[in-house]
Amino acid sequence: MSSQHHRAHVNWKKEARLIPGYLLIILWVAFTVVLLGWVFAASLSTTKDIFMGNALKFPTGLHFENYAKAWSSQNVSTFFLNSLGYASISTVLLILVAAPAAYVLSRFKFFMNRPIQSSFVAAMGVPMVMIILPLFGVVSQMQLLKQDWTVRVLMVFLYIGINVPYTTIFLLSFFTNLSRSYEEAAAIDGCPPMSTFWKIMLPLAQPGVITVSIFNFINIWNEYFMSLIFASSDRVRPVAVGLYGMINAMKYTGDWAGMFASVIIVFLPTFILFIFLSERIIKGVTGGGVKG
Amino acid sequence: MKKNRTMVVVFLAPALIFFCAVFVYPILRTLVMSAFHVENVTSSLNQWRYVGFDNYQELMGTSLFRISMWNLVRIWAVGGVAVMALALLLAVILNSGIRFKKFFRAVIYMPNIISAVALATMWLQYVYNPRFGLLTTFFNSIGLTSLASVQWTDTVHKFWALLGAYCFGMVGYHMLIFSSGIEKIPAEYYEASTIDGAGQLGQFLHITCPLLKGVTKTNITMWSITSVGFFVWSQLFSTVTADTQTITPMVYLYTLVFGAGNTVTERNAGMGAAVGVVLCLCVVAVFLIVNWAIKDDDLEF
Repeated sequence: MSSQHHRAHVNWKKEARLIPGYLLIILWVAFTVVLLGWVFAASLSTTKDIFMGNALKFPTGLHFENYAKAWSSQNVSTFFLNSLGYASISTVLLILVAAPAAYVLSRFKFFMNRPIQSSFVAAMGVPMVMIILPLFGVVSQMQLLKQDWTVRVLMVFLYIGINVPYTTIFLLSFFTNLSRSYEEAAAIDGCPPMSTFWKIMLPLAQPGVITVSIFNFINIWNEYFMSLIFASSDRVRPVAVGLYGMINAMKYTGDWAGMFASVIIVFLPTFILFIFLSERIIKGVTGGGVKG
Repeated sequence: MKKNRTMVVVFLAPALIFFCAVFVYPILRTLVMSAFHVENVTSSLNQWRYVGFDNYQELMGTSLFRISMWNLVRIWAVGGVAVMALALLLAVILNSGIRFKKFFRAVIYMPNIISAVALATMWLQYVYNPRFGLLTTFFNSIGLTSLASVQWTDTVHKFWALLGAYCFGMVGYHMLIFSSGIEKIPAEYYEASTIDGAGQLGQFLHITCPLLKGVTKTNITMWSITSVGFFVWSQLFSTVTADTQTITPMVYLYTLVFGAGNTVTERNAGMGAAVGVVLCLCVVAVFLIVNWAIKDDDLEF
């Protein structure tokens, strides 16, 4: 009886000690929720109600047509499908390019092994401005910016290229932690090393592959600077650059509800990914690599 | 062994081809280009004119570039201190035994996965909006009408409005890095010091801080790398091309090489390359200083 009383007493003291912390965290979280919640509400409101300060009251009901309008008339559908294409194709190809490299770097001793690993780590800190000018120069000399399909291929190539170092380094730690006994058993059964990788080792590294693919997808979806420079026509633009153009256009058309609807459409895919996979993403930020 | 060599080559080749095409060759070419006068970024090599360090000298003498560097320094230093302090504070609170830790942590990290264009638009068009914005509504409702009428995005307040919005989005990532460091500190350290009569502040100063040296290094390095690439937020917050309140070196490079020629009289891609080299050197310098100043090699736990 007395011990129970004692425990309750200690807990209350502990909770009281935590009150300032709770207050700050709740304030921060509340601000985030208000920010996103209001924009979501405004996207279902009308421009007139937003300006009257009635965005949260919906005096004329919910206006889902903002989404329909933004999707069809403001090119959002084109940008959205472009981004979906770029991000999913690049993410898959990145694994096909980076996973074999990571595996070889984690398993075999050869004299360029360490230098390659260090260069990949160093590349993660190279600012975009250091590589963008030659890339643009070479690409336009090769006449790759004239046709839509070459621009699309180029975008995927560049998205893969800039994410190869990060993806490789991230997967490297996963392969290093896998036991060598799998390969030994496969070798005894007569499985050649290369098929051992595709059939046994890559499936075993699946958790790492999934985590790094989520990061790659989100990074490519949100990428801005490179798309701005290389995707110059509306037909090939991804969402981030497309949204920027739309916001500028909204200044003249004055369709604020439509603008907020576009913002929500752009951020919804990564947001949904995060709702379902937040634990995995958060572990991945601190566990596998150094880059977010 | 021979078989292994084939496998190493076959498995590494695609990654190395991408790496050379997107990193090695462009980096080398940017370095060379910064020593040449290059009329247009698409000019072929035989049209380049060697000028030595002239590009760098001209760059340092350009007031717009100096302003952009000053803005970058302010973003890096002021924003850095604010973000690190908030991130550390939130990380300590999250690990102090509060309930719903995972939920709070997820919400604080969430802005990092939102497209910067979308997030910046939310701030610009909602939080800072003078007609129906969050700040105006909030200050009006508590009776501070003088604060409510502040035009947050006018030239006087624009830079700080920009920095505040940017930092809000960045805190989550750095909080996670600090948090991972705190989670690795053995609980016995805190228990032992509690028995010895140490208070919360004492524990924070003498146990948490010294053991977070490694993650602090990671945080400062990552903050510097992202600061150097500061671009989207400036573009969204600026109302004219080359807005002196919001211009950063990357925006300067963009206007210089790709953008409208109304503010930059001469187009010289060589100067653009020099901007890249200068920014790269800044990152390297910060990295070296941080590694020299913070030594955590003797702390293993």
